[in-house]
Amino acid sequence: MELHLTLIFNGLATGMLIFLLAAGLSLIFGLMSVLNFAHGALFMFGAYMGTWVYILIGGWNSPWGNLNFFVGMIAAALIGVVLGYLVERFTVRQVYGNHLRQILITTGVMLVVAELVKVFWGPNLIRVVQPEFLQGHFLVGDVRLTYYRVFIILFSTMILILLLFMLKKSKIGVVVRAGVENSQMVQALGINIRKVFTLVFIFGTMLACIGGYMWGPFQGQVNPGMGLDLMLIAFIVVAIGGLGSVAGSAIAAVLVGLSEAYMAYYFPPGSLAVNMLIMAAVLLIKPTGLLGAGR
Amino acid sequence: MKTTTKVTAYTNPSSGLNPLRIITWQKGAWIVCCLMLFAVPLLITKNSYLFLLTNIFIWSVFAMSYNLLLGFTGIISFGHAMFFGIGAYSLALTARHVPGGEVGFILAILATVVICFVLSLIVGLLSLRLRDTFYALITLAVATIFVIIAEQWRSMTMGNDGFNFTASLSRDLFGFINLLDRRHVYYIALIFLIGMFLLLKRFIDSPVGRTLQAIRDNEARAASLGYAVLNYKLISNILAGVMAGLAGVVYAISIRFVSPDSVLGVENTIDVLLMTVIGGVGTLLGPIIGAAVVEVSSHYLMGLANIHPIFERWVILFGVVFILIILFFPAGIVGTIKQKFLSKKKGVSS
Repeated sequence: MELHLTLIFNGLATGMLIFLLAAGLSLIFGLMSVLNFAHGALFMFGAYMGTWVYILIGGWNSPWGNLNFFVGMIAAALIGVVLGYLVERFTVRQVYGNHLRQILITTGVMLVVAELVKVFWGPNLIRVVQPEFLQGHFLVGDVRLTYYRVFIILFSTMILILLLFMLKKSKIGVVVRAGVENSQMVQALGINIRKVFTLVFIFGTMLACIGGYMWGPFQGQVNPGMGLDLMLIAFIVVAIGGLGSVAGSAIAAVLVGLSEAYMAYYFPPGSLAVNMLIMAAVLLIKPTGLLGAGR
Repeated sequence: MKTTTKVTAYTNPSSGLNPLRIITWQKGAWIVCCLMLFAVPLLITKNSYLFLLTNIFIWSVFAMSYNLLLGFTGIISFGHAMFFGIGAYSLALTARHVPGGEVGFILAILATVVICFVLSLIVGLLSLRLRDTFYALITLAVATIFVIIAEQWRSMTMGNDGFNFTASLSRDLFGFINLLDRRHVYYIALIFLIGMFLLLKRFIDSPVGRTLQAIRDNEARAASLGYAVLNYKLISNILAGVMAGLAGVVYAISIRFVSPDSVLGVENTIDVLLMTVIGGVGTLLGPIIGAAVVEVSSHYLMGLANIHPIFERWVILFGVVFILIILFFPAGIVGTIKQKFLSKKKGVSS
């Protein structure tokens, strides 16, 4: 029983981290049908940038270690905003409306950004540790709960609630939801959907960069291969959850996180295959994904 | 990536009577080019240049098969390297485990064709009926599963390290081919390239190929005209898969070594994507030019790494060039030249 509770707890933590990556991807895809292949590379760039700042200002050993962690997170978020704007403005926007060219150009961006990481920080992995107040664990019954994972779950849940609230209540959220349903109709009503899309792209990239930064202490390191591996999982999550649905992404991310945790315990090489099977099953039964718009 | 399909005027039927007129200057140029390529091993004795040319030929075939998907069908695959890798691993494994060169060689080709056929059929059936962007996603996932299999099945594939099989390559295949002689491998690759080029040209100009391009340009219209869109896409998917697999077989002969990174990984798909886009999407000659440009420049850029370490990151250069080409010259090298040439010709005639 403890085993299963531990695995479920780990799966939740992994899933909620994946959700940070997948939420932006899902909205970008849902709003403009852009399959953003650069998302994983941007996620990695954010991870490196945040970690670099975190270590530069003293890291986890200095007396300000707790504060440093959050400074690093802000740095990751800022670079996410900058990169998101640059990528959208100079590449994605230029090939608007052509799916094939959008995939191609984001692949090009992925190549450049992933190589830039190696130029700036070298091809080797960088070790990174969580700050002092998130180290260690506590026991509930016989289940060991790591503070950092609890933090990840709480933080990501907060983001999820914030996102859902914004989508439900704010004006721009209404426009985004309407755009996912039918973007031409929104344009016909006199709303500049491309501006909204730019905002969503920036916001999604920022979330991915924060997620990447938090992924570092989770794994104990950042490395140049993390982008592509996680991007594939995020794509699967988006496909399962439904394009453009934040709640669907959250459910799918937790599902995939749980399957990752269980497979990591029983048969690690098979985890991707299991995720693929889940995706295939969902797509065969409901091609729009769990909570996708009926298009 | 919309390229305008031009309705080519077929050769004037009256010219068929005179045997000399069948050979137009274009065909003559082709034949001269081929003859020159056949003469290369007689002039160049340095093995490294022959090796480079051989790899260009093989990657050209791989890129041509990719172009069949990207340029002529309008679907983008991120898992094309799995077919290439399956071909390479088939040859490597049969070379190592099956005694008797000919049996192993034929077995490798048969296994490649059968596996690639079945795999591309299954992947196509699963993904082509969904929206177009899912094809990229599903091929990427399936290819990653193959990489994981190659990494984990250590007893068979030696995992991440890969293995070398130079010693087990046949020295007298069918009595006259020495697979360890660079010149023989060069001729194999060249004949393979010419054969595949002619096959692809036939296919593109056939009714099936024409329909495929019609589907690429306007899927809804082709479907409403009564064409079974899915079946046509499946045909192109299978042909591309089998071609890539055969290219993998020849590649394994040339590099005599297989590992997940060198033949199976996603990097290989991205390389072939670069070649196709740089050379010219939707043109027959484009992938060959693209393969030559990418292979030659990466060969020399890698050599420059001794001068300054920045050249180790030469991929970044390709990435930037790739983005610029998609933004400003979506037709690639060959396509852009063709457009310029055609518009000039039109200007003269009108």
